[in-house]
Amino acid sequence: MLARLRGPLTDRRAGLLLGAPAVAVVLIVLAMLVFVAIQAWPTFQHNGLGWLGDGPAPTGGTVDQQLGSMVEGGEAPPPSAYAIKAWPLIFGTALTTVLSIAIGIVVSVLAAIFIVDLAPRRVRNVVVPVVRLLAAVPSVIYGLIGILVLVPFVNDNLISEGQRQSVQNVIPLTGPGLLVSVVLLTLMVTPIMIALITDALESVPRGWREGALALGVTQWRATMSVAVKAIRPAIVAAAVLASARALGEAIMLSMVSGSNGYAPRIQDGLIFLFEPLRPLAATIAENTESINSAALKSTLYAFAFLLLVSCFVLSLGSYFIKRSLRAQGAR
Amino acid sequence: MSRPATESHDPAGSDGDGTRGAYPPPVRRIALDRAPTVVADDPAERPLVSPSIERALRPATGRERLRIDELSIFYGDAPKPAVNAVTLPVHEGEVLALIGPSGCGKTTLLRSLNRLIELTPGARRQGRIVLDGEDIDGLEMTRLRRRVSMVFQQPNPFPMSIFDNVAYALREQSRKRPSKRDLLPRVEHALRRAGLWDEVSHDLSRPALRLSGGQQQRLCIARALAVEPEVLLMDEPCSALDPISTTVIEQLIHELRSELAIVIVTHNLQQARRVADNVAFMYLGDLIEYGPTEELFERPRAERTREYVGGTFG
Repeated sequence: MLARLRGPLTDRRAGLLLGAPAVAVVLIVLAMLVFVAIQAWPTFQHNGLGWLGDGPAPTGGTVDQQLGSMVEGGEAPPPSAYAIKAWPLIFGTALTTVLSIAIGIVVSVLAAIFIVDLAPRRVRNVVVPVVRLLAAVPSVIYGLIGILVLVPFVNDNLISEGQRQSVQNVIPLTGPGLLVSVVLLTLMVTPIMIALITDALESVPRGWREGALALGVTQWRATMSVAVKAIRPAIVAAAVLASARALGEAIMLSMVSGSNGYAPRIQDGLIFLFEPLRPLAATIAENTESINSAALKSTLYAFAFLLLVSCFVLSLGSYFIKRSLRAQGAR
Repeated sequence: MSRPATESHDPAGSDGDGTRGAYPPPVRRIALDRAPTVVADDPAERPLVSPSIERALRPATGRERLRIDELSIFYGDAPKPAVNAVTLPVHEGEVLALIGPSGCGKTTLLRSLNRLIELTPGARRQGRIVLDGEDIDGLEMTRLRRRVSMVFQQPNPFPMSIFDNVAYALREQSRKRPSKRDLLPRVEHALRRAGLWDEVSHDLSRPALRLSGGQQQRLCIARALAVEPEVLLMDEPCSALDPISTTVIEQLIHELRSELAIVIVTHNLQQARRVADNVAFMYLGDLIEYGPTEELFERPRAERTREYVGGTFG
């Protein structure tokens, strides 16, 4: 037996050796999804579609009060302890993710064009490694800078006393909130997008660009209408990777979002930007110590299930978008 | 250094004729040996060669469209220019072939005609290029490149549909985005001129990159023709193609010649002989010899030309 293993690695054995981890990963992911779904089932069962809803639950209170009353339910909670309407948390997650990815796409495409087309070699030799380094900065550092620098800055300089008073009966404005969260999240996800889009833009054949220029198109249009158009699949891939990171970001957002289960209201105008929120991932991270409450545990698993499913849907969606874009030969 | 050599060989032109009398001279034998491999399976070319003798007798084919005037191109700090004080006319309705060994500056010369050379870092130009009496430096770059359009060595269709490829420049040049229906006649016209319409008309939404190499190159020609250029530059348009596609494209060059001036760079002497009205032979950046095709191949005046068209080097 051992003697056989010592022999040369045949293709068949190499295939098995390399295939095993790949299959294991798929199995683990599936098992995780099933496990999380089973654990989350009680809260879905008790709330039905109202789980996704907004406003006070049948038992009353904001989403944070609902979560708090779950803790009191203990290990064998009454059905009423499961009551929750999670919309503010879902909305907070979607809002921060969508905004930061939208800003991130624009910024990273422009930055990649600058790096590939315009930057002098010397600038480029500095910018590219720095961008890659930024992509690897742990999120807690962004959170620290956010809470020590950005939050006080927003509180002292951007929020006016009038704004504070106009909503003081609804929500306290103290600095942390949507604006700081989105700024930091964008800062966090953009470097990896720049790195990916730069690579894609560099792989665009020179002939395409020259071909466009030779047809009497300006440099800018040649870049936008040929090069950027050609790398749309890579942009989609970068956006999906970044949104997965943004969706799952817990610690940093827990530090700078205000950690308040409140859904910012667009109709509040500028104040909207300063209103606090708390996304799903941060909610999970903050409540893990009270996990011996059965109702809360199930609810947290439900949040996790929602995040997992969102990531799958994103991956699946990007697969189909990329496939249809590649049909024309884009890369 | 080659330039003075040209002049010193001018009187020796009669000497060259003398050598030609001692039939078969090495120059012609090599040409004949090679000819069948490229031309034999291609009767369509046959009648095209003999009229070239008649063409050679005509001095110029049409009015002068483009004049290259004492043009020099320098790359970076290189002491010797890549193109050295070249003067050449390009006439309406003619095909001018630029021939010469690798690195002789023919592609550089071609790319300077639509100022594409300016994309190369460190490239500097001296001398003038005049398009219809106007210095091209005075023309807006986008306008110039539509009047002097270009086809590249490697077929480079964009990763879009066939229709979008041909319509690309038309869409880009119009302020308001024209509808597909408005564009179709012009796209069809360009594809017909490039001889591709019959092959692709059934499905214009097909991805251009799924076409064969030869079709891709004709698509690129159609794309270049869609902007209605006056001069068409072709940079070794057949070097990446198989013999059959090459024949098709050479045929196309013949048909297009009547409507515009074509400048073609080619490594393939037979091709230059088949398609060109006038040939310019370049060597190490110098224009060694320029003249009607038949003249230049049969009775080269410069020693270098004789060696090159005879296959001694290249």
